[in-house]
Amino acid sequence: MQHDKPLILAIQKVITENARVKSFSFDYDFPGKPGQFVMVWIPGYDEKPFGIVKIDGKFLITVAAVGDSTKALHKMRVGDKLGFRGPYGSYFTLSNSKKPIAMVAGGYGMASLALLAQEARKSRRDVHLFLGARNKNELLYLSWAKKIGLKLHLSTDDGSAGFKGYNTDLFAKEVDKIKPEKVYVVGPEIMEVKVAKTCYEKNIPFEVSLERYMKCGFGICGQCCVDPTGWRMCVEGPVLNQDQLSHVTEFGKYHRTPSGKIIHYK
Amino acid sequence: MAELSVNLAGIKLRNPLILASGIMGVSTASMKFVEKNGAGAVTMKSIGPVDRVGHKNPTVYSWGEGLHNAVGLSNPGAQEGRDHLKDMMRTLSIPVVASCFADTVDNIAKVAATMLEAKPAILELNLSCPNTEDDFGRMFALDVKATERAVTLVKKIAGKTKIFAKLSPDTADIVDIGKAAEAAGADGLTAINTLSGLVIDVHLKRPVLTNKMGGLSGPAIKPVAVRAVYNLYKAVKIPIIGTGGVNTGEDAIELIMAGAAAIGVGSAIYYRGIDVFKKITDEMKEFMEKEGYKSVGEMRGVAHKS
Repeated sequence: MQHDKPLILAIQKVITENARVKSFSFDYDFPGKPGQFVMVWIPGYDEKPFGIVKIDGKFLITVAAVGDSTKALHKMRVGDKLGFRGPYGSYFTLSNSKKPIAMVAGGYGMASLALLAQEARKSRRDVHLFLGARNKNELLYLSWAKKIGLKLHLSTDDGSAGFKGYNTDLFAKEVDKIKPEKVYVVGPEIMEVKVAKTCYEKNIPFEVSLERYMKCGFGICGQCCVDPTGWRMCVEGPVLNQDQLSHVTEFGKYHRTPSGKIIHYK
Repeated sequence: MAELSVNLAGIKLRNPLILASGIMGVSTASMKFVEKNGAGAVTMKSIGPVDRVGHKNPTVYSWGEGLHNAVGLSNPGAQEGRDHLKDMMRTLSIPVVASCFADTVDNIAKVAATMLEAKPAILELNLSCPNTEDDFGRMFALDVKATERAVTLVKKIAGKTKIFAKLSPDTADIVDIGKAAEAAGADGLTAINTLSGLVIDVHLKRPVLTNKMGGLSGPAIKPVAVRAVYNLYKAVKIPIIGTGGVNTGEDAIELIMAGAAAIGVGSAIYYRGIDVFKKITDEMKEFMEKEGYKSVGEMRGVAHKS
């Protein structure tokens, strides 16, 4: 069932992931496929998209305190209420084969990949995770990733864990050894661009989640349409495969503000 | 064969369905996507004097029987809006309707002047967005004199562009306003804009929309639209774009029988997908063939004969 009117849920548990990131769990099995998202209403502040995560059967969202609304959310406690709309958007696809797959996650990208990783591990596939962060404290869901048996390829900007440098470089170095059937990519756009380039060069199929500012979440406001196809990242996206992505010329180049102005990436 | 093409104030449309303003944003790509999915024309999101981010989310959601929105007229401003419009007109093969708004009658004339540089087929004066009362005050379309003045000012500089006035249902008599627009020289009317409403979430004990009040659209407001178009059709000679709650071919035909010359489609994209234009035109054709209508024009206003 899709919730288009906000479904109000009380926070059941607050988990501190690191100094900047918290997860909030809820006593409701929110529907959704890997890669889909929910619009989360933070009363009095904003409504923003978040990946649907389920860890140990609990629905949760993972939030970095970066702006007013997410800082307000970080101050919320058990019992406080949030509104949820969704699930929305396209989703990751997983074949029935037993071949290994790879995931490249940066920033909070792991939140959009967690469900997919779980599904792949259910059929005992090898899942290679290239998890990158600024330092070892910011490597998201690390203990969970170990618990479900992901093959970890860690990298940090400061070298405090794993490879010192970017996960994109580590991925480019190691991908030939892994021979993944498909690569799944979620992170900052600059990271996604690099992984996409590697995959195109090596002719490896991939899927990427492309984030754009959203308002309605269900395909009518046009805010998240990309050039030149006009595809809505809340309906035709956010998950695009390598063929679809090749049509999106704005990928890695620019995005639009809430007013519709174009902002180029530096 | 049922013929779906219509003539709207001298402009030929391949079918009567026009993407309503505020739906699918301001980019050329999104308008092209709508064209590919079967629209007869598209209306660009309303453009104002300056860059405006609009309200904070939640701005759009479904309240259960329709949609409720207060996006707050987010737009990139007149200069960039005009450039987008030019680009759209170059890229699309169907007519583009420009739309503009402002805080005062004089300012809407200024924005209109900038948009008219692109020479769109139609310029719709958004006299009636219900979602900016705090910063813009009362809407012009609720006031006969302001409507008259706005249309007069813009009509003077319109050139070949047809000027349509978009009317609000939140007025004592929409017909008086429609007549005022016609008297001032408007080439057509668009009726109706969304209906202002308030929804309170009882669990959070607060309005859902950040702006609190917002425009209602979708199936629930269709009878309000049919009533407005029916009454306007009796009172004015200029063509009317009937908008409000159209989801199906029969919904579109209902507004045409009330007197609409063309049909606005917006929230239906939420209900039936982006290809809703194709679905509605297929359904219209099927109805027309069954009922023996050869053209859309033959159905126009027939409900008035009963």
